[in-house]
Amino acid sequence: MEIEGYTFPDDLYYDREHYWCRVEGNVVVTGTTDFAQKMAGEIVYVQLPLIGKSVTQGKPCAALESGKWVGRIYAVVSGKVVEVNEELEDNPKLINQGPYDQGWIFKIEPSDLDVELKNLMQGDDLAQFIKSEIIRVAAER
Amino acid sequence: MDQMYLLDVGKLPGQQSMLIFHALARMGVEALVIVSPENPLVSIGYFQDAAKEINLPFCRENGIPFMRREVGGGATYLDENQIFYQIIWKRSNPRFPVQMKRIFEEFSIPACETYRKFGIEASFRQENDIVTQGGKKIAGEGGGDIGDCMVFVGGILLDFDYETMSKILRVPDEKLRDKVYKSMKENLTTMKKELGDIPPREEVVQTLIREYEKVLGRLEPLALHNRFVERMKTLEKWFTSDRFLVKKTRKIPKGIKIKGGVEIRYGIHKAKGGLIRTVEELEDEKISEIGISGDFQFYPKSDLATMEVELRKTEFEQGKVRNKIQQFYDVHHIQAPGVLPEDFTTAIIRSQSEGPE
Repeated sequence: MEIEGYTFPDDLYYDREHYWCRVEGNVVVTGTTDFAQKMAGEIVYVQLPLIGKSVTQGKPCAALESGKWVGRIYAVVSGKVVEVNEELEDNPKLINQGPYDQGWIFKIEPSDLDVELKNLMQGDDLAQFIKSEIIRVAAER
Repeated sequence: MDQMYLLDVGKLPGQQSMLIFHALARMGVEALVIVSPENPLVSIGYFQDAAKEINLPFCRENGIPFMRREVGGGATYLDENQIFYQIIWKRSNPRFPVQMKRIFEEFSIPACETYRKFGIEASFRQENDIVTQGGKKIAGEGGGDIGDCMVFVGGILLDFDYETMSKILRVPDEKLRDKVYKSMKENLTTMKKELGDIPPREEVVQTLIREYEKVLGRLEPLALHNRFVERMKTLEKWFTSDRFLVKKTRKIPKGIKIKGGVEIRYGIHKAKGGLIRTVEELEDEKISEIGISGDFQFYPKSDLATMEVELRKTEFEQGKVRNKIQQFYDVHHIQAPGVLPEDFTTAIIRSQSEGPE
């Protein structure tokens, strides 16, 4: 779906930290949203989580930098990190260029997926949340 | 809004002047901190690796401590002639902007106004510099998410030790360090340079506080409690540890950003005729200054310096650089066994893929 110029693929799940996840078999792929990457500007560094690291839904687990600001990367679901997008080490701009495909950040082997997916947003819930974020950002201008 | 505190703590021993905002952010204390380091130190950005960015032997020999911080930006030399302003607020505080761009714009205003009150026309320039009317950078800023808080930090430059700054940086070749020094001197300015003298520190501090209160509201003075100091001491062990200072990344530094539009890049390339090292200053994607060194042969020897001059104002693009060097070779009948114009071009242009060893 498109929300005021920002893209949000319908098959993904989204959290309130502006990260998404896609279920692929027994693994969950995660990344940041089109809205977040546009707000951040050019991403210049990405710190990927270590493979094997345990992550918790809603908690920070890695970091990225844009314009001298170090922001946190959040885990969309709990579990264990099983793969990271090493391309981002040399080319962090992939997140800006393709936040939902080439800019994926890491993959998780989830520990409680059925329960935790219910904490995430899709459809109308997502639209409402994003619209409120857009209003919040617009009010700052 | 919730009450914010003011910690005007004067000078703190080296790392504590940087650790204080890390501690307050973790403790959820919303505050404006005004502080200077009592003794010099080197600070690297969150995404830097001390071993790759800093001249560690020089720092150790000269007793200059170094630490990595949890905000962005590059390696920098800090001393008592800088007045840091550090703002800490909770992410959930609706009073504060969420967009990075707005945070930088809004919280740079007090620093700009402070400079203006002392007769220096300073303004914020995207993405994160404060510059004078002459276009020189006069403050560096950065920020980050720490714990449940956000922090924004910067520094008023009363004066700046350009020489030591150029010495604490790791450069690919000692012969090229002078280029780094020169670039900094040309592009960074200070209150002393602009005014001829350093204004009284306390006057600058009080002006800065007044200007920040216009943005943040009245601030409640708070002393540096022991619990903050204890937290800083705990953090110090981690922030100065090898595990934290040396990042596990294969990324090699490209160079140094001096200010928006101006950066120094390091280049290296092994030609058949020997190793070529370069340091180039880029201004708006053009080579404004370049130094070339290495263990290759180049005749006439004096023409290497001339070629450096010829390369100035060349667009930082592979074809344009190669053509300029090829033209130079042809006009000056350069003899450089095993070193072709393509080799110099590779060293210069490929400066993002390799760096100091």
